Amino acid sequence: MKKKRWININKAAKMTSFYIFVTGIMIAMLIPIFFIVSLSFLSTREAYRFPLPLLPALTTKFELTHGERGYLISVYDRVENEYMSVLDTQDLEKISQYTRYQLGTPMTIEEIEQEIVKLETQEIVYFTHRRNLLFNYETFFRVAGTGQAIPALIRSLQICALTIVISLSIGGMAGYAFARYSFKGHDTLKFGVLFVRMFPGVAIALPMVIILANYGFFDKPIGLSLVYSIGSIALTVWITASIFMGIPVSLEEAAQVFGSTKTHAFLRITLPLAFPGLAAAAMFTFLGAWNETILAIILTQFNPTFSVVVFQTVLGSVGQVNLAAAGGMVMALPAVVFTFFIRRYINQMWGGVTV
Amino acid sequence: MAVASSKNIRRSWGRIIPYLLILPVILYYAAFWLRPVITAVIGSFTNASGHFTLQNFAMVINDENFIPAVRNTAVIVFFSVTLEFLGALFLALLINRKFAGSGFFLFFAMIPMALPAAAAGAMWLTGLTAHGWINSLLYYLGILAEGEKVYWLAGSELSLLALVIFIDAWQVIPSVMIILLAGLQNIPKETQEAGYVFGGNYLTVLRKITLPLLSPTIQTAMILRLISAIQIWLIIVLLLGYSRMPVLLERVVYYQKEVKGLDISYQMATTYTIIVAAIVSLAALVYLQISGAFKRGKKEVI
Repeated sequence: MKKKRWININKAAKMTSFYIFVTGIMIAMLIPIFFIVSLSFLSTREAYRFPLPLLPALTTKFELTHGERGYLISVYDRVENEYMSVLDTQDLEKISQYTRYQLGTPMTIEEIEQEIVKLETQEIVYFTHRRNLLFNYETFFRVAGTGQAIPALIRSLQICALTIVISLSIGGMAGYAFARYSFKGHDTLKFGVLFVRMFPGVAIALPMVIILANYGFFDKPIGLSLVYSIGSIALTVWITASIFMGIPVSLEEAAQVFGSTKTHAFLRITLPLAFPGLAAAAMFTFLGAWNETILAIILTQFNPTFSVVVFQTVLGSVGQVNLAAAGGMVMALPAVVFTFFIRRYINQMWGGVTV
Repeated sequence: MAVASSKNIRRSWGRIIPYLLILPVILYYAAFWLRPVITAVIGSFTNASGHFTLQNFAMVINDENFIPAVRNTAVIVFFSVTLEFLGALFLALLINRKFAGSGFFLFFAMIPMALPAAAAGAMWLTGLTAHGWINSLLYYLGILAEGEKVYWLAGSELSLLALVIFIDAWQVIPSVMIILLAGLQNIPKETQEAGYVFGGNYLTVLRKITLPLLSPTIQTAMILRLISAIQIWLIIVLLLGYSRMPVLLERVVYYQKEVKGLDISYQMATTYTIIVAAIVSLAALVYLQISGAFKRGKKEVI
């Protein structure tokens, strides 16, 4: 009896330390992500304070008095825990600009005037104003890549869509062949495809500039998607082959027994069953095309993709870390969401291990 | 007679079908992969006027950044792959069991790997500046005193290399861990239990049973890591700019994008490219060898 309880306690202690350990790993993995998410919501002023505030503020607290040159505006600083004066001016336009761009707290001139009116009866006016949390994101889309961010985003989505269409149609057919037929050169071809995927993409980037230019595809979405399809066709072949192998041929045969044609049986039985796997292949393709940066840098000139715009923003971000963070987040969000959907297939990325 | 020939046609038709289904892939690869690869190889062996030469390779080897680039790449590859393997194996062995919330945990483990390079670059760049979040974190944890700052990006070459290796490890260890976990869970429990029954302790069982059974998975994961570690460049350029810590692939982009005007840029870039491609192809061939691609009669590796 006593011994059993001892074992129980021992077991509980083991479980607890195990969970503490797992939580520890998770914290180590997520801390950098936590900080960049938080940073992407901070105002420009706070993004340069040290230490960085852990969480973005929802409101900004102001203190308004008469200054030497006009109105003296102070802002509550969360690092120093006190009001710090930031502006002394009569120019309401300037004040409005400062609150908008430096504090991420858009205030119209009328709203500022309303507070200034109160100075007639009070010596010091305290007021709080709601922050525009998405301000960095809006600014990023407005200024990044000199206004190229939104066209680049559209281009990136076009590239992803084209790449998915090309690689699913071409790769899916081959995947079906590898799964259902045994023929001479089966393995050689299948591994040859895998070799193409492993071959560094950058090696073909330079000749590709000329080839694409000959077709008139250089610096156009179709050009990049043709290049991205090289890797993603191979991936699609391997994923779809493993999916079609998982669907018993007997199902198709049964349909044929009941008088359906081979094509019909494929369309009505195998394809619907393969759909989740095909969707996963499509998402992998999306991720590859969306994340890719190096080929996009080389193969675009005036029409960068979204990843290139983010890359350039980060590279030149010495003055604007919160903008770089916001750009990085826009870049990361679809990637993380799609990863969530394909997590069960992640180990098939290189055709090797099964889960 | 007519029936027989139509049967024959149908039979040979059936034999052709798989090739017809694969044909688009082959044509696609011939047009958009093989052709540029051949062009690149030829490009690395010809000079600007189109004659055969080995001059390009001599030029690359004499490039003042070539030796540092090779050395840096080798150091990064060696240490990051080793570190990632040991870290991931350690974690995978500790976590190797089904527990409440394991799916949740595995999803979070995938996030670092899912981060696009540009986003990861933004993350580390904002962290490593003097007033960045890493120093802030150290300050909050009480490690840095007030007013004290670590200038991460101003360190010596060695510390910068360590930094790059650390960043790569952060991004990659979770995903290698997932691969190894999948491998561990495919090992039948009975084999390990048998080891314990015959009096082995944890370490003996690990060394004599678990690791040998896991070795195909380990080889797979390591070679795939090797292939991508050779191709590290973007994080380095984002953190340090071009030429500060040259690596092989960074040289390719440097000659292609940064010094475009020069006569020799194209030759330099192509030749660097071919060198990287040769190394990676070698690793890929080793990988294919291990996964049994060249074994006759072995039907399927999946």
